[in-house]
Amino acid sequence: MNLLLVIFLSMALFAISIVGILARRNALIFFLSIELMLNGANLLFVAFSRHWGNQIGLVWVFFVLVVAAAEAAVGLAIIINLFRLKQLVDVDQYNALRE
Amino acid sequence: MALDAGIGEWLLATLLLFSSIGVIAARKPVHASLFFLLTLMSLAAIYLQLSAQFIAVMQILVYAGAILVIFMFVIVLFQDAYQQIVHHKSGSSPPFLFAAAASFCALLLLFAFGLQGLPQQYASLPEGFGMVQLLGKELYIDFFFPFEAVILLFLVAVVGALYIGKKGSL
Repeated sequence: MNLLLVIFLSMALFAISIVGILARRNALIFFLSIELMLNGANLLFVAFSRHWGNQIGLVWVFFVLVVAAAEAAVGLAIIINLFRLKQLVDVDQYNALRE
Repeated sequence: MALDAGIGEWLLATLLLFSSIGVIAARKPVHASLFFLLTLMSLAAIYLQLSAQFIAVMQILVYAGAILVIFMFVIVLFQDAYQQIVHHKSGSSPPFLFAAAASFCALLLLFAFGLQGLPQQYASLPEGFGMVQLLGKELYIDFFFPFEAVILLFLVAVVGALYIGKKGSL
């Protein structure tokens, strides 16, 4: 696959997830946007690993996958607990730390 | 470096962009997570094109198999909040789109400078590139300490998730 196209795609993924985080107020969409961001970085790792013929990029992709799984476990637990507390998934309503 | 690619590659790229825009544009989290599944599938296909077979399989197993399933469980827990989600306004305002466009342009500029000295052609691949044998050797011998550290991180994260998720801990 063309390297330039893949780089463009990974940048587009990152920019789209930035829009998702800034414009949406739903905690679950937030979470998915963060996962999209990690995927954009992963795509770049794989593309350059293929470009240089070097496996180390793939090893780092593996590490990013593990960190994403850990983040999913902790993040979803936090979202569930906040939902129990407020009965809301709107991140603007989560203001307990502000007062 | 020209942007020439086959019709299948353009199709994959379009699918990836369409589904990732769907993730952030969908009203209900269920639809967003289904779009996310489509994104993961097209990413796995791109990884296969880039001869990273093991990573493509891991992508499907870990993301679609584990993370997305947990996400679906959480959505099921949130049944009561659906009314509120549906009625919630979620239009993206111009400043946010501007911020995203600015970050995209900054990334593009960064890459335009960074790509100057890059070789035009893909390097020739060693035998068994991207397969589990070579990758496992790399992981267990050269990256042994980071591997163990990441295992510890994951263990701590799971214990922490259990503790945070317990009723009445907050």
